[in-house]
Amino acid sequence: MTQQAIKKRKRGDFIRRSLGEKTFDVLNILLMLALVCFFLFPILNMLSISLSNEYAVLRGDVTFYPMGINLQAYEQIFSHSTLWQGIMNSILVAGVGCVLSIISLSVAAYPLAFGDFYGKKLYNVLILITMWFNGGIIPTFLTMSRLGLHNTHWALIFNTMITAYYVVIVRSYFESLPSSIVESARIDGANDFRILFQLIIPLSKPVLATVSLWVIVGHWNDYLNALLFIADRSKYTLQLVLKEMVLNAESSVYAISMSGGTDTVGAAALGQQVRNAVLVVSMIPMVILYPFVQRYFITGVTLGAVKG
Amino acid sequence: MVFAHLFFDYKLLRGFEGSKYVGFRWFERLFSNPNLLQYILNTLKLNLSALIFLFPLPMIFAILLNELRNLRFKKTVQTLSYLPHFVSTVVLVSMIMTIASPSLGLLGKWARAAGQTPINYLADPDYFVLVNVVSGAWQSIGWDAVIFMSALAGIDQGLYEAARIDGANRWKQTLHVTLPGLMTTFVLLLIMRVGQMLSVNFEKVYLLQNNLNLSASEMLPTFVYKTGMESRNYGYATAAGLFNSVISLVLVFAANHISRRVTDISLM
Repeated sequence: MTQQAIKKRKRGDFIRRSLGEKTFDVLNILLMLALVCFFLFPILNMLSISLSNEYAVLRGDVTFYPMGINLQAYEQIFSHSTLWQGIMNSILVAGVGCVLSIISLSVAAYPLAFGDFYGKKLYNVLILITMWFNGGIIPTFLTMSRLGLHNTHWALIFNTMITAYYVVIVRSYFESLPSSIVESARIDGANDFRILFQLIIPLSKPVLATVSLWVIVGHWNDYLNALLFIADRSKYTLQLVLKEMVLNAESSVYAISMSGGTDTVGAAALGQQVRNAVLVVSMIPMVILYPFVQRYFITGVTLGAVKG
Repeated sequence: MVFAHLFFDYKLLRGFEGSKYVGFRWFERLFSNPNLLQYILNTLKLNLSALIFLFPLPMIFAILLNELRNLRFKKTVQTLSYLPHFVSTVVLVSMIMTIASPSLGLLGKWARAAGQTPINYLADPDYFVLVNVVSGAWQSIGWDAVIFMSALAGIDQGLYEAARIDGANRWKQTLHVTLPGLMTTFVLLLIMRVGQMLSVNFEKVYLLQNNLNLSASEMLPTFVYKTGMESRNYGYATAAGLFNSVISLVLVFAANHISRRVTDISLM
């Protein structure tokens, strides 16, 4: 629809553009290029530091391209078990969390879309109110502790399993499906579970793909919940490991011990490189997902905006 | 139920049965804390500045993006613009630290090249709001623009044609067709944003905090976290957290009410 609308507008553009409009077009393109630089430079800077040789890093010369390729930092982190442990834990949480989220979101949204029962409005309000009001950090932590979930990955999974905003998005997609298919399936004798799992869910792949990608990204980048609920080092998720390795690195033993220790100048520089290399590695899964993600994301956000 | 800790000297291992009932002691302590006013002011300063600068920018960005004639260029810019949204807070904060470092970072290098002394942005309370706003802009402009882009696509093209026939140039079209067309989306998002204002920024502010900038960076949510999780004073932290939630609930109702009065658009 966007494409069509734009084409239509271009066709109507037969009047010759005035000087002012041409100036505007040029300035607009320049502004957009500047913004692209603004968006990309921090990422390029990080990537370049991780790949540059240590003297350039120490002199602070590295800007947006690597100076003297040096892969030492990456060799160092490949043997770093804490990082890989963190990545494995994050994959586990994101994977299990995503599957459970999709099932429970669908189950929560189904009655909102197709149900006709006493108290539906209340059910709707109870879900929506969590968008603006919740217990807060400490009561959430205490509830999880009392449930015996403290220091387990389940605390991370359950805490964000059903998000009101996602329920709204899944519900609006369900509502856009023709309700006659539900009715005919019911006449054929299918119960609600069968209708949901064998009919509605397979028909809702686009929105479920969007939401599962959101959930995965959410788990992958989550720092606060992991900080609250995870205490054991062996259970640390990626963001906790990153925080330890990167933000505490000035004083921590990581940077020094990882560079071999004897050459202090090299150690300081390699510390910088290793830190940035760790960040780059942590972003790789998101970069792989990104092309798939971005196509679906727009549909998802649009749905939420139109019907939310 | 979850708020019962408010009235107890709660000990995690003993539960309510083993904890002492203390009535309103935590509220008394909260409101007699001499720093409370500063925490509230910092919370409002950090969040309001982010709201004022970061809320209109995505809309302006979306309108300008929509004016680009080359579709491939437009799509590339948009795709790159929301890449930062996928960067986690921990990674974002370490990027800020790298770039803002006076000795090794880019900003320091540029300042020296311009003949000035590099500023240590993270050690100076005066710059904390600026750091928060600029990094917020980096992360959210492109992503927030997605909603406005879809709202733009929903504006009736006939309106533009009618405006053109009446002799409106592109600026007039933007002023009289595009902006009114985006109004509803703008106001609804604004109300929702006001409601979430006090709870979204925690991770970044907490990670950017250090002893030197604490006077500008300590806000209610970080105070709640420290009291509850670092000092293990659950009752006091819950009281402070509840106070924070009540402020945001008041803000969202106020925003909704004002919007209904002024523009006739409201959430509820």
